[in-house]
Amino acid sequence: MTTTAEGAIAPPRHTPRLLFRQLLAHPAGSILLVFVILQVACITWALLHPDDFRYLSPQNLAILMRAIPVLGCLALGVGVLMIAGEFDLSVGSVYALTAIVMAVQVDAGMSAFIAAPLAIAIGLGIGVLNGLITLKFGLPSFIVTLGGLMFWRGAVLLYNGAVQVRFDPEPAFTGLFAGTLFGLNAAFLWFLALVFAFYLLMHRHKFGNHVFATGGNRPAATAIGINTGRVKIIAFAIAGGMAAFAGILATARVGSVQPGQGTGLELQAIAACVIGGLSLHGGRGSVIGIFLGAMMIHTITNVLLLLRAPGFYLEMFIAMLIVGAAILNQFIERKGTA
Amino acid sequence: MVDTPILELHGVTKRFGPLTALKDLSFHIGEGEVIGLLGDNGAGKSTTVNLISGIHKPSSGHLSVDGQQTMFTCRSDSADAGIETIYQNTALVDSLSITRNIFMGREITNGLGFLKQGEMREIAMEVLKSAVHISGIDSPDKLVGELSGGQKQAVAIARAVHFKRRVLLLDEPTSALSVRETEALLNQVLRLKAGNVSSVLVTHNIYHAYQVCDRFVIMSHGTKVFDVAKEDTSITQLTEYVVLT
Ligand SMILES: Nc1ncnc2c1ncn2[C@@H]1O[C@H](COP(=O)(O)OP(=O)(O)OP(=O)(O)O)[C@@H](O)[C@H]1O
Ligand SMILES: [Mg+2]
Repeated sequence: MTTTAEGAIAPPRHTPRLLFRQLLAHPAGSILLVFVILQVACITWALLHPDDFRYLSPQNLAILMRAIPVLGCLALGVGVLMIAGEFDLSVGSVYALTAIVMAVQVDAGMSAFIAAPLAIAIGLGIGVLNGLITLKFGLPSFIVTLGGLMFWRGAVLLYNGAVQVRFDPEPAFTGLFAGTLFGLNAAFLWFLALVFAFYLLMHRHKFGNHVFATGGNRPAATAIGINTGRVKIIAFAIAGGMAAFAGILATARVGSVQPGQGTGLELQAIAACVIGGLSLHGGRGSVIGIFLGAMMIHTITNVLLLLRAPGFYLEMFIAMLIVGAAILNQFIERKGTA
Repeated sequence: MVDTPILELHGVTKRFGPLTALKDLSFHIGEGEVIGLLGDNGAGKSTTVNLISGIHKPSSGHLSVDGQQTMFTCRSDSADAGIETIYQNTALVDSLSITRNIFMGREITNGLGFLKQGEMREIAMEVLKSAVHISGIDSPDKLVGELSGGQKQAVAIARAVHFKRRVLLLDEPTSALSVRETEALLNQVLRLKAGNVSSVLVTHNIYHAYQVCDRFVIMSHGTKVFDVAKEDTSITQLTEYVVLT
């Protein structure tokens, strides 16, 4: 009360220590730090031992760029939904279903440029359905989308049986989603563009503000007049739509769809989000964090592969990363609301 | 007192299933008037506040604003009429900054819906400097989760000030506050009154109410049992009414 009007608000000082603390206070700050350290270590090691550790070889970089976008796109959708305070476990199944539908339709003569938007529409529709069931019946989305995970996986088999489907679109389609541009993989460019678009949506647009408000304190958001039900349903739709888009990228790259593909991807997507600093309770997180989380999972996978580590190391390592990140998040959140 | 009250309740009854929370309740709020809404636990004070802010609809009876009969069906209806509610657990989002909280749901944007962050930040800084004199808030970029209970209420009030609310509903705003923060909040109510903003203060602390209110409405079992101007009553009499009815 004694503070004068002049002295009440001082501009933040930019000492190195303060900047460091601000970095760590940012939802994605600690992951950024870990990511940079990991990259520096990998690059240094690769430069010192170019023959043993082929991290920087063009082939390896190409593999990385092809692998990241699928998980990345799924994680972007799941992440927006997590910030809104809900989960979607069905994205792995939706990813397979929409890809199969697209491939079968193209096989039957439909243009891929029509089949792909159709796949995205199905993804959006399933997302809206998840949202409506969750909200109308006041259920935890965890349970509703667990149902979705099994239901849509079953629907894949009902639709086309347990067989692989070839995907043979017009070359322009393959070029658009699986070609290369300026030496960069098209899917990776799509992913980068989507990261930027999601950044604008979540951090620079009022919709993003409403998503954070809805996930952070739903009664408060409602009391101020935000239609939180609508916000959540749109977030569910985004998760479903992005699952379908990930399916398009994967299918265009591989040229075929397996009915079992995408199993477990929903958990990896949530893992990427948690590693990226998103709160499990909603309302906290960032698009850059989701991006780094997805990059992180693939970088570690890649490094372990290059070191020829057996597969179980990979799972154990990622498991530790997830739990470690969750502990860190919890710690930061407690401090934030103390 | 002015001729037409800003807000009036006419014979409002509110039932929750078999339970009658409000029974034929009538009172009015004048422009720039501070009303103390007092009564025992379960008397219906919070229900009254929720009704005025549009969260509940009356089972019978009605509200009028500026003498015009109105119906609030949701929170944004009452917001349009210039009513702001400040709850004990203030309607703020801990994980967002002060600026984003002040403009939550009423963001300043360009035509495409993108936020004008600089402008919002500037206004937030201005409002915090000029309207809210609670120390410890040094930047509008601070997360609300890092503020104390009183500072949070200050942000909620800053929001009400900036959006030129006409009526402030405060439901037990001081129950979590220190003595100093309580004083600051009560002074804030008086400062708003000087700017012709009316307030309804719900509290169990009759001393606080007596300090700032012009008139007292005492409720018991969903009805009004006493409605008196400050100059015609005393703390002793108010206490008797709250306890004995
Ligand atoms: N949403 C609701 N559903 C059913 N009953 C309710 C609801 N809200 C309030 N009531 C009932 O209405 C009555 C009045 O409650 P209200 O919260 O208005 O009391 P109050 O005066 O604010 O009490 P306190 O001082 O304890 O906050 C109580 O009997 C309460 O149980
Ligand atoms: Mg109450």
